Amino acid sequence: MAQINKFELAKKLKGFNTLKMIESALNLDRTKAIYLIHKLRKEGYVKTKYLSSKKRIYYISPKNVLKGTSYTEVINKQSPIKIMETDEYNIYGREVSIEEALIYALNKRSVRYTVALLGLFRKITSWSKLYNIAKKDNLIREVVALYDVARKILPKLKRMPKRFRNLAKPKKNESYKYIIDGFKSMNFEDIEKKWKVYIPLNWDDLSEYEGVNK
Amino acid sequence: MINLDEQQNIFMRIAEKLPKRIEVYAIGGTAMMFLGLKDKTLDVDIVFLNATDRKIFKDTAKLLDFEDTSAEIVYGKRDNAPEMVKISDVRLDLFLFKIISSYFSTGMQKRAMQTHDFIGKLIIRIASPSDILVMKSATARQKDDEDIISIIKENKANWEIIVKESEEQVMLGNESAVLSLGTRFERLKNEKKVEIPKEVLDKLWKILKKQTGKNKLKSL
Repeated sequence: MAQINKFELAKKLKGFNTLKMIESALNLDRTKAIYLIHKLRKEGYVKTKYLSSKKRIYYISPKNVLKGTSYTEVINKQSPIKIMETDEYNIYGREVSIEEALIYALNKRSVRYTVALLGLFRKITSWSKLYNIAKKDNLIREVVALYDVARKILPKLKRMPKRFRNLAKPKKNESYKYIIDGFKSMNFEDIEKKWKVYIPLNWDDLSEYEGVNK
Repeated sequence: MINLDEQQNIFMRIAEKLPKRIEVYAIGGTAMMFLGLKDKTLDVDIVFLNATDRKIFKDTAKLLDFEDTSAEIVYGKRDNAPEMVKISDVRLDLFLFKIISSYFSTGMQKRAMQTHDFIGKLIIRIASPSDILVMKSATARQKDDEDIISIIKENKANWEIIVKESEEQVMLGNESAVLSLGTRFERLKNEKKVEIPKEVLDKLWKILKKQTGKNKLKSL
Protein backbone atom coordinates (compact mmCIF):
# COMPACT_ATOMS: atom_id res chain seq x y z
CA MET A 1 0.00 0.00 0.00
CA ALA A 2 2.87 2.37 0.83
CA GLN A 3 4.15 2.15 -2.75
CA ILE A 4 0.98 3.54 -4.31
CA ASN A 5 1.23 6.90 -6.02
CA LYS A 6 -1.74 8.63 -4.45
CA PHE A 7 -2.03 11.23 -7.17
CA GLU A 8 -2.31 8.55 -9.87
CA LEU A 9 -4.83 6.74 -7.71
CA ALA A 10 -6.90 9.90 -7.29
CA LYS A 11 -6.83 10.29 -11.07
CA LYS A 12 -7.93 6.67 -11.51
CA LEU A 13 -10.79 6.97 -9.04
CA LYS A 14 -11.83 10.44 -10.20
CA GLY A 15 -15.54 11.05 -9.65
CA PHE A 16 -18.18 9.87 -7.21
CA ASN A 17 -17.46 6.53 -5.55
CA THR A 18 -19.05 4.34 -2.95
CA LEU A 19 -16.92 2.03 -0.85
CA LYS A 20 -18.16 -0.89 -2.94
CA MET A 21 -17.11 0.83 -6.17
CA ILE A 22 -13.59 1.39 -4.82
CA GLU A 23 -13.39 -2.21 -3.66
CA SER A 24 -14.28 -3.53 -7.08
CA ALA A 25 -12.26 -0.95 -9.07
CA LEU A 26 -9.06 -1.82 -7.23
CA ASN A 27 -9.91 -5.37 -6.29
CA LEU A 28 -9.52 -4.70 -2.57
CA ASP A 29 -11.33 -5.94 0.48
CA ARG A 30 -13.41 -3.53 2.58
CA THR A 31 -10.72 -2.87 5.23
CA LYS A 32 -8.08 -2.02 2.63
CA ALA A 33 -10.51 0.20 0.70
CA ILE A 34 -11.31 2.15 3.88
CA TYR A 35 -7.59 2.54 4.60
CA LEU A 36 -7.03 3.78 1.06
CA ILE A 37 -9.75 6.40 1.38
CA HIS A 38 -8.17 7.49 4.65
CA LYS A 39 -4.79 7.87 2.91
CA LEU A 40 -6.28 9.78 -0.01
CA ARG A 41 -8.24 12.03 2.33
CA LYS A 42 -5.05 12.86 4.22
CA GLU A 43 -3.58 14.14 0.93
CA GLY A 44 -6.70 16.22 0.30
CA TYR A 45 -8.09 14.20 -2.62
CA VAL A 46 -11.36 13.09 -0.98
CA LYS A 47 -14.54 15.00 -0.18
CA THR A 48 -17.28 13.03 1.57
CA LYS A 49 -20.93 13.62 0.80
CA TYR A 50 -24.07 11.96 2.06
CA LEU A 51 -27.02 10.76 0.03
CA SER A 52 -30.56 11.25 1.28
CA SER A 53 -30.38 7.63 2.43
CA LYS A 54 -27.45 8.69 4.65
CA LYS A 55 -25.18 6.54 2.53
CA ARG A 56 -21.67 7.92 2.25
CA ILE A 57 -20.23 8.75 -1.15
CA TYR A 58 -16.72 9.90 -1.81
CA TYR A 59 -15.94 12.57 -4.38
CA ILE A 60 -12.36 11.87 -5.38
CA SER A 61 -10.39 14.27 -7.57
CA PRO A 62 -6.80 15.50 -7.80
CA LYS A 63 -8.33 18.98 -7.88
CA ASN A 64 -9.79 18.61 -4.38
CA VAL A 65 -6.37 19.66 -3.11
CA LEU A 66 -7.14 23.22 -4.24
CA LYS A 67 -8.07 25.16 -1.13
CA GLY A 68 -10.31 27.76 -2.70
CA THR A 69 -14.07 28.03 -2.96
CA SER A 70 -15.81 28.35 -6.29
CA TYR A 71 -18.87 30.49 -7.01
CA THR A 72 -20.64 27.36 -8.16
CA GLU A 73 -20.02 25.72 -4.79
CA VAL A 74 -21.58 28.72 -3.04
CA ILE A 75 -24.57 28.71 -5.40
CA ASN A 76 -25.09 24.97 -4.96
CA LYS A 77 -24.85 25.29 -1.19
CA GLN A 78 -27.37 28.11 -0.93
CA SER A 79 -29.82 27.55 -3.78
CA PRO A 80 -32.27 24.65 -3.99
CA ILE A 81 -31.43 24.41 -7.70
CA LYS A 82 -28.06 22.86 -8.35
CA ILE A 83 -25.81 23.59 -11.28
CA MET A 84 -22.95 21.84 -13.02
CA GLU A 85 -19.69 23.72 -13.07
CA THR A 86 -18.81 24.71 -16.62
CA ASP A 87 -15.87 27.01 -16.16
CA GLU A 88 -14.36 27.06 -12.73
CA TYR A 89 -13.78 30.27 -10.83
CA ASN A 90 -11.95 29.53 -7.59
CA ILE A 91 -11.42 32.12 -4.90
CA TYR A 92 -8.67 31.93 -2.30
CA GLY A 93 -8.07 33.82 0.90
CA ARG A 94 -11.52 35.34 1.33
CA GLU A 95 -15.10 34.26 1.76
CA VAL A 96 -17.44 34.50 -1.19
CA SER A 97 -20.62 36.38 -0.34
CA ILE A 98 -24.08 35.36 -1.54
CA GLU A 99 -24.40 38.78 -3.15
CA GLU A 100 -21.27 38.21 -5.23
CA ALA A 101 -22.40 34.71 -6.17
CA LEU A 102 -25.77 36.06 -7.33
CA ILE A 103 -24.15 38.60 -9.65
CA TYR A 104 -21.71 35.95 -10.89
CA ALA A 105 -24.66 33.69 -11.76
CA LEU A 106 -26.40 36.57 -13.54
CA ASN A 107 -23.27 37.33 -15.54
CA LYS A 108 -23.19 33.74 -16.79
CA ARG A 109 -26.22 34.64 -18.97
CA SER A 110 -27.55 31.10 -18.95
CA VAL A 111 -31.05 29.81 -18.18
CA ARG A 112 -29.85 27.28 -15.62
CA TYR A 113 -27.78 29.84 -13.70
CA THR A 114 -30.67 32.33 -13.83
CA VAL A 115 -33.08 29.73 -12.41
CA ALA A 116 -30.59 28.87 -9.64
CA LEU A 117 -29.89 32.49 -8.70
CA LEU A 118 -33.56 33.09 -7.83
CA GLY A 119 -33.07 30.84 -4.80
CA LEU A 120 -30.21 33.04 -3.61
CA PHE A 121 -32.51 36.02 -2.97
CA ARG A 122 -33.68 34.20 0.15
CA LYS A 123 -30.14 34.30 1.56
CA ILE A 124 -29.30 37.94 0.87
CA THR A 125 -28.03 39.60 4.03
CA SER A 126 -26.85 42.94 2.67
CA TRP A 127 -29.01 44.63 0.06
CA SER A 128 -26.62 47.57 -0.13
CA LYS A 129 -23.78 45.19 -0.95
CA LEU A 130 -25.90 43.59 -3.66
CA TYR A 131 -26.77 47.04 -5.03
CA ASN A 132 -23.12 48.11 -5.17
CA ILE A 133 -21.95 44.93 -6.91
CA ALA A 134 -24.86 45.08 -9.37
CA LYS A 135 -24.16 48.75 -10.08
CA LYS A 136 -20.55 47.97 -10.91
CA ASP A 137 -21.71 45.57 -13.64
CA ASN A 138 -24.69 47.72 -14.67
CA LEU A 139 -27.14 45.00 -13.65
CA ILE A 140 -29.42 46.82 -11.19
CA ARG A 141 -32.56 46.56 -13.36
CA GLU A 142 -31.91 42.88 -14.05
CA VAL A 143 -31.52 42.15 -10.31
CA VAL A 144 -34.79 43.86 -9.40
CA ALA A 145 -36.68 42.18 -12.25
CA LEU A 146 -35.42 38.75 -11.21
CA TYR A 147 -36.23 39.52 -7.58
CA ASP A 148 -39.83 40.11 -8.66
CA VAL A 149 -39.82 36.70 -10.38
CA ALA A 150 -38.38 35.14 -7.21
CA ARG A 151 -41.19 36.69 -5.15
CA LYS A 152 -43.68 34.80 -7.27
CA ILE A 153 -42.11 31.44 -6.50
CA LEU A 154 -40.52 31.77 -3.07
CA PRO A 155 -42.93 32.21 -0.19
CA LYS A 156 -42.06 34.68 2.59
CA LEU A 157 -39.17 36.17 0.65
CA LYS A 158 -37.62 39.13 2.46
CA ARG A 159 -38.67 42.50 1.04
CA MET A 160 -36.17 44.35 -1.07
CA PRO A 161 -35.60 47.89 0.27
CA LYS A 162 -37.70 50.53 -1.49
CA ARG A 163 -34.63 52.62 -2.16
CA PHE A 164 -33.09 49.76 -4.18
CA ARG A 165 -36.26 49.52 -6.28
CA ASN A 166 -36.54 53.27 -6.74
CA LEU A 167 -32.98 53.54 -7.93
CA ALA A 168 -33.58 50.70 -10.39
CA LYS A 169 -36.60 52.28 -12.09
CA PRO A 170 -35.95 52.61 -15.82
CA LYS A 171 -36.03 56.08 -17.35
CA LYS A 172 -38.51 56.84 -20.12
CA ASN A 173 -35.90 56.86 -22.85
CA GLU A 174 -34.20 53.69 -21.68
CA SER A 175 -34.57 50.67 -23.92
CA TYR A 176 -35.30 47.06 -22.97
CA LYS A 177 -32.37 44.91 -21.83
CA TYR A 178 -31.89 41.21 -22.41
CA ILE A 179 -30.50 38.94 -19.69
CA ILE A 180 -29.86 36.32 -22.36
CA ASP A 181 -29.78 37.65 -25.91
CA GLY A 182 -33.02 36.96 -27.75
CA PHE A 183 -34.79 35.32 -24.78
CA LYS A 184 -38.14 36.80 -23.71
CA SER A 185 -40.76 35.47 -21.35
CA MET A 186 -44.28 34.42 -22.19
CA ASN A 187 -45.30 34.38 -18.53
CA PHE A 188 -43.64 37.35 -16.86
CA GLU A 189 -44.51 40.13 -19.25
CA ASP A 190 -45.75 42.38 -16.44
CA ILE A 191 -42.31 42.30 -14.81
CA GLU A 192 -40.61 42.77 -18.16
CA LYS A 193 -42.71 45.86 -18.83
CA LYS A 194 -42.16 47.32 -15.38
CA TRP A 195 -38.36 47.07 -15.39
CA LYS A 196 -37.75 47.05 -19.14
CA VAL A 197 -35.83 43.80 -18.79
CA TYR A 198 -36.65 40.67 -20.76
CA ILE A 199 -36.90 37.67 -18.44
CA PRO A 200 -35.40 34.54 -20.02
CA LEU A 201 -37.75 32.26 -18.04
CA ASN A 202 -41.23 30.83 -18.18
CA TRP A 203 -43.15 28.97 -15.48
CA ASP A 204 -41.96 25.69 -16.97
CA ASP A 205 -38.35 26.60 -16.23
CA LEU A 206 -39.18 27.07 -12.56
CA SER A 207 -40.93 23.78 -11.98
CA GLU A 208 -38.04 22.50 -9.85
CA TYR A 209 -38.91 25.03 -7.16
CA GLU A 210 -41.18 23.48 -4.59
CA GLY A 211 -44.82 24.42 -4.99
CA VAL A 212 -44.43 25.95 -8.44
CA ASN A 213 -47.22 24.87 -10.72
CA LYS A 214 -47.86 26.34 -14.11
CA MET B 1 9.98 20.35 -7.56
CA ILE B 2 6.93 22.18 -6.27
CA ASN B 3 3.52 20.69 -5.46
CA LEU B 4 0.06 22.22 -5.73
CA ASP B 5 -0.09 23.20 -2.09
CA GLU B 6 3.25 25.01 -2.21
CA GLN B 7 2.29 26.66 -5.48
CA GLN B 8 -0.94 27.99 -3.96
CA ASN B 9 0.97 29.31 -0.95
CA ILE B 10 3.40 31.20 -3.17
CA PHE B 11 0.58 32.78 -5.18
CA MET B 12 -1.23 33.73 -1.99
CA ARG B 13 1.85 35.34 -0.47
CA ILE B 14 2.53 37.30 -3.65
CA ALA B 15 -1.14 38.35 -3.93
CA GLU B 16 -1.06 39.69 -0.36
CA LYS B 17 1.85 41.98 -1.24
CA LEU B 18 0.76 43.07 -4.74
CA PRO B 19 0.11 46.82 -4.91
CA LYS B 20 -2.55 46.38 -7.62
CA ARG B 21 -4.78 43.77 -9.24
CA ILE B 22 -2.92 41.77 -11.86
CA GLU B 23 -4.24 39.25 -14.36
CA VAL B 24 -1.91 36.55 -15.64
CA TYR B 25 -2.07 33.22 -17.44
CA ALA B 26 -0.67 29.96 -16.12
CA ILE B 27 0.85 27.62 -18.69
CA GLY B 28 2.88 24.40 -18.70
CA GLY B 29 3.19 22.33 -15.54
CA THR B 30 1.64 25.07 -13.41
CA ALA B 31 -1.53 25.01 -15.50
CA MET B 32 -1.54 21.21 -15.55
CA MET B 33 -1.46 21.13 -11.75
CA PHE B 34 -4.46 23.42 -11.54
CA LEU B 35 -6.22 21.17 -14.06
CA GLY B 36 -5.50 18.09 -11.95
CA LEU B 37 -3.25 16.55 -14.59
CA LYS B 38 0.01 16.68 -12.68
CA ASP B 39 1.02 16.73 -9.02
CA LYS B 40 4.43 18.41 -9.19
CA THR B 41 6.30 20.73 -11.49
CA LEU B 42 9.85 21.97 -11.85
CA ASP B 43 9.01 25.62 -12.35
CA VAL B 44 6.05 27.98 -12.21
CA ASP B 45 5.33 29.31 -15.72
CA ILE B 46 3.33 32.51 -15.98
CA VAL B 47 2.48 34.63 -19.01
CA PHE B 48 1.90 38.38 -18.77
CA LEU B 49 0.29 40.49 -21.44
CA ASN B 50 2.10 43.67 -20.47
CA ALA B 51 5.57 44.51 -19.20
CA THR B 52 4.36 46.75 -16.35
CA ASP B 53 2.40 43.93 -14.72
CA ARG B 54 5.36 41.61 -15.07
CA LYS B 55 7.66 44.16 -13.40
CA ILE B 56 5.19 44.70 -10.54
CA PHE B 57 4.84 40.93 -10.05
CA LYS B 58 8.60 40.40 -10.13
CA ASP B 59 9.28 43.26 -7.69
CA THR B 60 6.63 41.84 -5.34
CA ALA B 61 8.20 38.39 -5.50
CA LYS B 62 11.53 39.96 -4.61
CA LEU B 63 9.93 41.44 -1.49
CA LEU B 64 9.35 37.82 -0.48
CA ASP B 65 13.05 37.01 -0.85
CA PHE B 66 12.90 35.68 -4.39
CA GLU B 67 16.11 36.49 -6.22
CA ASP B 68 16.89 37.27 -9.85
CA THR B 69 18.28 34.38 -11.80
CA SER B 70 19.53 34.16 -15.36
CA ALA B 71 17.24 32.68 -18.00
CA GLU B 72 20.25 32.06 -20.25
CA ILE B 73 21.23 28.90 -18.35
CA VAL B 74 17.82 27.34 -18.93
CA TYR B 75 16.71 28.81 -22.25
CA GLY B 76 19.99 29.89 -23.87
CA LYS B 77 20.45 33.30 -25.49
CA ARG B 78 16.99 34.09 -26.85
CA ASP B 79 15.04 37.30 -27.28
CA ASN B 80 11.90 35.81 -25.80
CA ALA B 81 13.38 34.12 -22.77
CA PRO B 82 11.40 34.81 -19.60
CA GLU B 83 12.52 36.86 -16.66
CA MET B 84 13.20 34.51 -13.79
CA VAL B 85 13.22 34.70 -10.01
CA LYS B 86 14.12 31.93 -7.62
CA ILE B 87 13.85 30.99 -3.97
CA SER B 88 15.48 27.74 -2.78
CA ASP B 89 14.39 25.24 -5.48
CA VAL B 90 11.28 27.13 -6.60
CA ARG B 91 11.66 29.05 -9.83
CA LEU B 92 9.16 31.45 -11.38
CA ASP B 93 9.45 31.86 -15.17
CA LEU B 94 7.76 35.11 -16.15
CA PHE B 95 7.01 35.28 -19.86
CA LEU B 96 5.76 38.28 -21.79
CA PHE B 97 3.20 37.26 -24.46
CA LYS B 98 5.73 35.05 -26.26
CA ILE B 99 6.84 31.75 -24.78
CA ILE B 100 10.16 31.06 -26.51
CA SER B 101 8.82 30.30 -30.00
CA SER B 102 5.08 30.07 -29.23
CA TYR B 103 2.74 33.05 -28.98
CA PHE B 104 0.07 33.27 -26.32
CA SER B 105 -2.56 34.04 -28.95
CA THR B 106 -5.94 35.70 -28.37
CA GLY B 107 -7.54 32.30 -29.01
CA MET B 108 -5.47 30.82 -26.19
CA GLN B 109 -6.47 33.70 -23.92
CA LYS B 110 -10.16 33.14 -24.67
CA ARG B 111 -9.93 29.41 -24.05
CA ALA B 112 -8.35 29.93 -20.63
CA MET B 113 -11.71 29.38 -18.91
CA GLN B 114 -10.61 28.25 -15.47
CA THR B 115 -9.83 31.14 -13.13
CA HIS B 116 -8.13 31.25 -9.74
CA ASP B 117 -8.63 34.46 -7.82
CA PHE B 118 -6.20 35.12 -4.97
CA ILE B 119 -7.86 37.69 -2.67
CA GLY B 120 -8.98 39.67 -5.72
CA LYS B 121 -5.40 40.82 -6.33
CA LEU B 122 -3.84 38.07 -8.39
CA ILE B 123 -6.11 36.58 -11.02
CA ILE B 124 -4.66 33.51 -12.68
CA ARG B 125 -6.33 32.12 -15.78
CA ILE B 126 -5.39 28.59 -16.72
CA ALA B 127 -4.44 27.78 -20.30
CA SER B 128 -6.61 25.06 -21.82
CA PRO B 129 -5.09 21.55 -22.05
CA SER B 130 -5.10 21.69 -25.87
CA ASP B 131 -3.13 24.93 -25.83
CA ILE B 132 -0.70 23.56 -23.26
CA LEU B 133 -0.14 20.66 -25.65
CA VAL B 134 0.54 23.01 -28.59
CA MET B 135 3.06 24.99 -26.52
CA LYS B 136 4.74 21.86 -25.19
CA SER B 137 5.11 20.41 -28.67
CA ALA B 138 7.21 23.45 -29.64
CA THR B 139 9.98 22.41 -27.26
CA ALA B 140 12.52 19.67 -27.81
CA ARG B 141 12.51 18.54 -24.18
CA GLN B 142 11.86 14.85 -23.57
CA LYS B 143 10.10 15.53 -20.27
CA ASP B 144 7.35 17.35 -22.18
CA ASP B 145 6.47 14.04 -23.87
CA GLU B 146 5.02 12.77 -20.59
CA ASP B 147 2.85 15.87 -20.22
CA ILE B 148 1.59 15.63 -23.80
CA ILE B 149 0.77 11.94 -23.29
CA SER B 150 -1.00 12.71 -20.02
CA ILE B 151 -3.21 15.35 -21.73
CA ILE B 152 -4.11 12.94 -24.52
CA LYS B 153 -4.72 9.99 -22.19
CA GLU B 154 -7.02 12.06 -19.97
CA ASN B 155 -9.09 12.91 -23.06
CA LYS B 156 -8.33 16.59 -22.62
CA ALA B 157 -7.02 17.11 -26.14
CA ASN B 158 -9.43 18.86 -28.47
CA TRP B 159 -7.93 17.94 -31.84
CA GLU B 160 -9.80 20.59 -33.78
CA ILE B 161 -8.47 23.34 -31.51
CA ILE B 162 -4.96 21.88 -31.63
CA VAL B 163 -4.87 21.93 -35.44
CA LYS B 164 -6.42 25.41 -35.65
CA GLU B 165 -4.08 26.83 -33.01
CA SER B 166 -1.00 25.45 -34.71
CA GLU B 167 -2.15 27.20 -37.90
CA GLU B 168 -2.70 30.39 -35.90
CA GLN B 169 0.82 30.09 -34.48
CA VAL B 170 2.22 30.03 -38.03
CA MET B 171 0.17 33.11 -38.89
CA LEU B 172 1.59 34.89 -35.85
CA GLY B 173 5.14 34.12 -36.94
CA ASN B 174 5.95 30.81 -35.28
CA GLU B 175 6.77 29.21 -38.62
CA SER B 176 7.78 25.83 -37.26
CA ALA B 177 4.62 25.29 -35.15
CA VAL B 178 2.89 22.84 -37.49
CA LEU B 179 6.11 21.00 -38.29
CA SER B 180 7.01 20.61 -34.59
CA LEU B 181 3.54 19.42 -33.69
CA GLY B 182 3.31 16.97 -36.58
CA THR B 183 6.76 15.51 -35.94
CA ARG B 184 6.11 15.21 -32.21
CA PHE B 185 2.79 13.46 -32.82
CA GLU B 186 4.32 11.05 -35.35
CA ARG B 187 7.10 10.19 -32.91
CA LEU B 188 4.72 9.67 -29.99
CA LYS B 189 2.46 7.54 -32.16
CA ASN B 190 5.28 5.36 -33.45
CA GLU B 191 7.52 5.11 -30.41
CA LYS B 192 5.09 5.33 -27.51
CA LYS B 193 1.93 4.05 -29.19
CA VAL B 194 -0.03 7.16 -28.24
CA GLU B 195 -3.42 7.28 -29.90
CA ILE B 196 -3.44 10.23 -32.23
CA PRO B 197 -6.16 10.24 -34.90
CA LYS B 198 -4.86 9.77 -38.43
CA GLU B 199 -7.04 12.63 -39.68
CA VAL B 200 -5.23 15.00 -37.32
CA LEU B 201 -1.84 14.05 -38.71
CA ASP B 202 -3.16 14.24 -42.27
CA LYS B 203 -4.53 17.71 -41.61
CA LEU B 204 -1.24 18.87 -40.11
CA TRP B 205 0.81 17.59 -43.07
CA LYS B 206 -1.65 19.19 -45.47
CA ILE B 207 -1.24 22.54 -43.72
CA LEU B 208 2.53 22.11 -43.75
CA LYS B 209 2.50 21.35 -47.47
CA LYS B 210 0.50 24.50 -48.09
CA GLN B 211 2.87 26.48 -45.87
CA THR B 212 6.00 25.25 -47.65
CA GLY B 213 4.35 25.96 -51.02
CA LYS B 214 3.73 29.55 -49.95
CA ASN B 215 7.28 29.92 -48.66
CA LYS B 216 8.66 28.65 -51.97
CA LEU B 217 6.56 31.23 -53.82
CA LYS B 218 7.85 33.93 -51.48
CA SER B 219 11.47 32.97 -52.11
CA LEU B 220 10.90 33.21 -55.87
